Amino acid sequence: MQRRSFFKVAGASVAASTLVLAGCSDDPEPTPVAENVLAFSGFNSTGQPIDDGILNYAYLLTQLEAAFYLKVVAAPPADLQPGELAYLTDLRDHELIHREYLKAILGSKAYDSSAAAPLEFTFTSFTLTTRAGVWAAAQQLEDIGAAAYNGAGKLLTVTANLLALAKIASVESRHAALAHEMVQADSFGATIGADGLDDAKTPTEVFVLIQPFVPIKLSAANLPTT
Amino acid sequence: MNLFNIISELEKVDPEIMDRLTHRRSALNALGDLSKKMALAAAPIAIGSAFNKAMGQQTLADPTAVLNYALLLERLEYSFYTQALAAPTLTATLTGAARTAIQTIQGHELAHVNLLTAVLGSNASPAQSPTFNFGSAFATYQSFLTFAQAFEDTGVRAYKGQAGNIPRTASATLSGTTYNLLTVALQIHSVEARHAAHVRYMRRDATAGAQTTIMPWIVNADSNGAPAAVYGAGNPAATFPAESNISQGGITSLTTMLGATYTADDVSAAFDEGLDNTTVTTIARSVVTF
Repeated sequence: MQRRSFFKVAGASVAASTLVLAGCSDDPEPTPVAENVLAFSGFNSTGQPIDDGILNYAYLLTQLEAAFYLKVVAAPPADLQPGELAYLTDLRDHELIHREYLKAILGSKAYDSSAAAPLEFTFTSFTLTTRAGVWAAAQQLEDIGAAAYNGAGKLLTVTANLLALAKIASVESRHAALAHEMVQADSFGATIGADGLDDAKTPTEVFVLIQPFVPIKLSAANLPTT
Repeated sequence: MNLFNIISELEKVDPEIMDRLTHRRSALNALGDLSKKMALAAAPIAIGSAFNKAMGQQTLADPTAVLNYALLLERLEYSFYTQALAAPTLTATLTGAARTAIQTIQGHELAHVNLLTAVLGSNASPAQSPTFNFGSAFATYQSFLTFAQAFEDTGVRAYKGQAGNIPRTASATLSGTTYNLLTVALQIHSVEARHAAHVRYMRRDATAGAQTTIMPWIVNADSNGAPAAVYGAGNPAATFPAESNISQGGITSLTTMLGATYTADDVSAAFDEGLDNTTVTTIARSVVTF
């Protein structure tokens, strides 16, 4: 695995080109990774796993979802059914709260804490002018979120961090169930397998799915895998 | 099988774990003997039992106890939906898409029972499911859905309350597939949350009384007719606050301290709270005889 890669970011030009977390392992010859890559580091200077990387990963997911609902609620499709704008507004506020909460507990460890401006996500692949398009997009993002949290739990080493993310995780699953309902009635179980288990995805798998929305190359190479 | 990882993980939380076992070598020899005799799938659980014995009966401190507790909850839920689908009082009201949805949920609960039973192997306790009596739960469609909401929301809280008690490297192998037990618990936790959201959505329908203030998520500690304890604080309350909690991660009030103002409705709904097993069992026994 590529845990060895090691980045050092200097100065305030972070937002402009390279958004990476400082961090390195005990590898004597760190392998540089190309610029314009966002790679959260889940290891400290002596190579021990730390939770900052996974917490930043969760933070990025909440940023993505919050940005999505902000955009939708600011210009909702004309064919929303009664009550749907209220749902979308609640979803926006929940995601804003998740985003600001994770940003607050990460503090200076937030990957963009010294960035001039936050990342600007792109949702051009979605059709946000119809209710069907909005809810299909919401379903996609919420299912990714739920699977991401399910897969991230075992990667956290501090129990308090696991519990903090678990409190958010089940709310994401509730969001996902609602989005499914809006897309197709009674499709709440669509992601649940014959073994009765919901999806769980690794950071690598999640990065592939969210890359189209993120304006910088994502890499999970420095995150723990076990 | 991550036997040595489990031991190493336990050493991190309890540096004296090896002193509690008579000798590291004899403990490992004993485990070696066990795994020779037992099915591979059951071995990790046997390890859990060994630790449980060594540490005295601490509350759900090992995967076996956690999984048996989860098994009880899943058996209860499976029995609840099975009885509902067979209840003459619901024949005329639990129909069409609603019946299909409940059958889907029932199927998931059965899958959970089967998975947990397989993982536990001979450590499943009790070996057979108890008989559950849900009293007047099935008297009306509305009553049934109120109970369903209570069980699903309690299930979410119960799994969340145990997440920290499952070593993150503990695993079990079934039919060649290795399951990380913490991931399995989180995946079931996620399913329970989807169920809860759907049942809450069903309660908004005209046939269930058009209760359109009920959201898919938990607003404050609103019980929507379910027992208040389902949404109340557990023990200790500092670890398991009520669902109305607006304080997280050392931040006293998320309504005012995140750089903008958010309502208590939104803040409380944005976080689901865990619950300890004693409180969960007490809630269950308050509405179910088993």
